[in-house]
Amino acid sequence: MTLKIFLHLTERGLKALNKRKLSVFDGLWRDNTILSSLMVISPVIVCGNTLRNAAAIIYAFSAITLFSVMIASFVPKKLPYAVKITVNAIIASLVYIPVKRAAQEFFPDIIPRIGIYFPLLAVNSIIILHTEAKFFKMKRLNMLGSLVFYILGFDLIMAVISIIREIFGHGTLNERVVDVNMTISGLGEPFGGFVFLGLLCGLYRYLRKKLSEGT
Amino acid sequence: MFLITELIAFLCANLILTRALGTSTMFTAAGSRSNLIGTAAVITVFTTIGSAAAYIIDSLLPQSLDDIRLLLYTAAIGLIYTGLLFALKKFSGKNFYRYRKYIHISAFNCAVMGTVFTVSGTAEIAGFFGYISAGLEAGAGFVLASLILTAAYKRLNSYKVPVSFRGFPAILVYLGIISMALYALR
Repeated sequence: MTLKIFLHLTERGLKALNKRKLSVFDGLWRDNTILSSLMVISPVIVCGNTLRNAAAIIYAFSAITLFSVMIASFVPKKLPYAVKITVNAIIASLVYIPVKRAAQEFFPDIIPRIGIYFPLLAVNSIIILHTEAKFFKMKRLNMLGSLVFYILGFDLIMAVISIIREIFGHGTLNERVVDVNMTISGLGEPFGGFVFLGLLCGLYRYLRKKLSEGT
Repeated sequence: MFLITELIAFLCANLILTRALGTSTMFTAAGSRSNLIGTAAVITVFTTIGSAAAYIIDSLLPQSLDDIRLLLYTAAIGLIYTGLLFALKKFSGKNFYRYRKYIHISAFNCAVMGTVFTVSGTAEIAGFFGYISAGLEAGAGFVLASLILTAAYKRLNSYKVPVSFRGFPAILVYLGIISMALYALR
């Protein structure tokens, strides 16, 4: 009974997210950062193979993107496009410094494992391209709401992908052994990330189409 | 035999197919063949000049200030970005508006920044020309990956592919299969 109510509410929720007018929620489902826009997919493919890696990436992505876009929203709009893009990237690089220092406290063993993908989060497509194309055309409060849902959309999919890849790729979850009958070691490799993300994208498109047909 | 070995080594060092760097950029430019090749060519310019700038930064920056490395790389890429736009405006005249999009897409992305960080973090790469050749090689790898993608792009977008998987999902699976082949070669 509880499961039925949960599924009903989930279906209603997804249908509501599919509706055009709820644009603030776009980043969570209809225009999901990873599955729809295919933005910031390099760290998902390469580092999204364990939950601990994902936690570090989620923390860094969320903090860098949120603060960078909020600060960059005060950059004068009259500046030439190339200057604005460069300033946005420089702001993100500055925000990266305290985020990295904090990450070294919280995830000391994960940061070397993530390697170059950690600083690369500062030049992600949301900060560089999406800000000028979408966020800065909105009112500041709407922009903040929309940005939060874009970030949550990334975080959610990153977590789901890493959990599935860790369980079926390594036979562990949060580095603790879990009871699975079969592991596919390739799922933890970058090529497994490419294939798995492609299949998930296809499934997402199928669900989105079905749900939009139903509304 | 030597050429085949060299080709395999070149493929195995490909940053897109082995480390997924620049995949989002490739998808942004994947709309047409000319877009993809144009973007790949400009990215090669960025990776080559960017690697030269990285050499200068690495030579001058003490290890204790490692946290600001990203900031300096970003500033360098920003300078190259505006410099290329100025150069294009000066030398291409009316074609500026036609070609500037390639520079905008290519400036700040994982392909360029990833290359700069990879070149900087690889101990075997040393010296100014070592950095430049590694940057050029990474850019050439991006061109090669773009050519591999354009070869199958039409088929992956064909009506024979189920609607949900047509386009980007199919391209991701296709890149995954090529990446798997390279993994086996390594």
